[in-house]
Amino acid sequence: MDDLRLVERDVDTQDIKIAARKVQVFYGDTHAIRDVDVDILDKTVTAFIGPSGCGKSTFLRCLNRMNDTIDVARVEGDIHLDGEDIYDAKVDPVQLRAKVGMVFQKPNPFPKSIYDNVAYGPKIHGLAKNKAELDEIVETALRRAALWDEAKDRLDEPGTGLSGGQQQRLCIARAVATEPEVLLMDEPCSALDPIATAQVEELIDELRQNYAVVIVTHSMQQAARVSQKTAFFHLGYLVEYDETGKIFTNPEDSRTESYISGKIG
Amino acid sequence: MTDATATPDAAPAPHRKKGGSLLELDARTRKRNAAEARFKAYGVIAITIGLLFLVALLFAIIRNGIPAFTQTFLTMEIVLDEETVEAAEGSIVATSQYRNMVAEALQVKLADVGIETDKEPRDLMLMLSPGVGAEVRRVVQESPELIGETVEFRFLTASRVDGYTKGRVQREDLARDRNLDATHLDIVDELMDQGVVERTFNLAFITGSDASESRPEEAGIGVSMLGSLFMMIVVLVCALPVGVAASIYLEEFAPKNRLTDFIEVNISNLAAVPSIVFGILGLAVFIQFAHLPQSAPLVGGLTLALMTLPTIVISTRASLKAVPPSIRDAALGVGASKMQAVFHHVLPLAAPGILTGTIIGLAQALGETAPLLLIGMVGFIASNYPDGLASGFLDPNSAMPAQIYEWAKRADPAYYERAWGGIIILLAFLMTMNIIAIILRRRFERRW
Ligand SMILES: Nc1ncnc2c1ncn2[C@@H]1O[C@H](COP(=O)(O)OP(=O)(O)O)[C@@H](O)[C@H]1O
Ligand SMILES: [Mg+2]
Repeated sequence: MDDLRLVERDVDTQDIKIAARKVQVFYGDTHAIRDVDVDILDKTVTAFIGPSGCGKSTFLRCLNRMNDTIDVARVEGDIHLDGEDIYDAKVDPVQLRAKVGMVFQKPNPFPKSIYDNVAYGPKIHGLAKNKAELDEIVETALRRAALWDEAKDRLDEPGTGLSGGQQQRLCIARAVATEPEVLLMDEPCSALDPIATAQVEELIDELRQNYAVVIVTHSMQQAARVSQKTAFFHLGYLVEYDETGKIFTNPEDSRTESYISGKIG
Repeated sequence: MTDATATPDAAPAPHRKKGGSLLELDARTRKRNAAEARFKAYGVIAITIGLLFLVALLFAIIRNGIPAFTQTFLTMEIVLDEETVEAAEGSIVATSQYRNMVAEALQVKLADVGIETDKEPRDLMLMLSPGVGAEVRRVVQESPELIGETVEFRFLTASRVDGYTKGRVQREDLARDRNLDATHLDIVDELMDQGVVERTFNLAFITGSDASESRPEEAGIGVSMLGSLFMMIVVLVCALPVGVAASIYLEEFAPKNRLTDFIEVNISNLAAVPSIVFGILGLAVFIQFAHLPQSAPLVGGLTLALMTLPTIVISTRASLKAVPPSIRDAALGVGASKMQAVFHHVLPLAAPGILTGTIIGLAQALGETAPLLLIGMVGFIASNYPDGLASGFLDPNSAMPAQIYEWAKRADPAYYERAWGGIIILLAFLMTMNIIAIILRRRFERRW
């Protein structure tokens, strides 16, 4: 199998969903993200790649203000979602996170039933008026996450009892249940076996129909398989950002080339 | 195989390993094994010593305390003759009239069972508890329909007689006694043979109230148990919400800065403050400043709540810390507010730990004596059951450990025995609470 086989590269739209300019992130005195400018397109899978510790997760967490929960973290610069500054003083991060969902590296279902896991977001955001509507939302979300067939008979069982891959798809279902506009995924497959990984990747490609998906991955093969755009981070800088095909076949920066060919790790 | 290891100078066999044979221990391994064996032996010795102390302690407690649960009774019939009862009720010293009634009946009883004695009725009465007159009166007043009948009474014997049947009082001891003498004991022996005097289980020790210095046979721990119960309610109601709220704030919401660090250090230090300090604080704040009633379970409970607070805060924070951060991320990630994340997800997972900590804090408070001394919850206080909630919280009462301390202080060895008995009851409570804590922890542990 050709590892660098690329998915169809046609980027459906050029609508900019998230625009970041001159973003700096500091952890105390550590300058973790330096001068990052990036435009993330709607209905597109954007991959962040780069050696570990280069700031991929940090930057991803800026996009839904999860860095707010870290005391020492400080974010500077502008990040606009649909033209609105998400770091504006008037923005409540809670509202933002309902629009920008997140899937984490380690599957982290709530220690509750599968149903409650998916229903939690819609419940707190008041998306369902009654039980029937909630049931429908849960079913749709589980179907989108390709988990419905496996889970429909055991909705009352704890989500923590699922296998790793199923748990991660449950987390994806939980994230899509709140009907976000952007889905952030931080190495969603790093804890999964190859089969579960393939399922999740297939899923990501489908999610592109409805969302802007940003995925952090340490696997270049994965970036090549699922994304249309790729951003290469190195030591806190965004080195290169382009069509995935271009990054993997004809990178402009020598650092990107070294990384792609395995010289920086 | 050749003995290659034994002859190092010989040409090395081609298959010989560098480190020598695996089948022989080298010097380093032998030394290490010896050290390990020694260390294990120390551990076993330490545990054995600990167990020996525990066994000795339990043995002492049970041996000294079990007799407190039994009491010697004398069963006899009294004719509640209408005239005599009326005369007694008309007198200003009613109970003493009833005593005379009992004395005469006792003389009759002895004659009935064929015991000859030339003792005066008053002298015979020394074998019974001083409280018998009052008991007859109580029965007469509670059920007047018994007047004119012959009623069977089960009287407490005097504590010396009780001590004699328990082996606590020897005949030689009576030489120094003011009133009871050896002939009394002969009568007791005979009555025991006849089954008139018996030693049986005494529920009144568990349910009863404290009695005066001269009547140890009447004293029970029940009222101070209620005092402890009311205090524990106050502790629970005050310390749990405050402690949990403080810990949630500190752990989940407060910024990490100098001030919160300072508060943290101080909470840990508070847990190590001697309890008597909390007692004097309670005295100064609740009684002298706020003018709450002295000796009341309310004040005791508030004081103990102060003492329990750090324990609850520490254990609550530990159990909040133990909830994996990924759960908080998950909740925040779907757009829950911080408070929703804490109350919907973190707190339920931390609840068993919080509960365990609370129970252990309560158990500590239950056994605490020193602060109670300072706010006056000790001494001869309770002789009545609280009649209702308000009086339960506000009327002077004692608490189990204070009651035990009080008994242990009294001169009569019969009280010493009751102190040990009280300790058995207190330990039973503490053990129950700890077992509940363990069960909770086991049942709810780590479900994520
Ligand atoms: N919570 C934190 N506190 C302090 N420094 C952090 C924290 N998280 C990440 N960092 C630092 O920021 C840099 C980028 O980390 P991260 O974004 O996790 O990298 P990546 O996801 O690309 O592996 C690293 O040097 C890391 O040590
Ligand atoms: Mg990362």
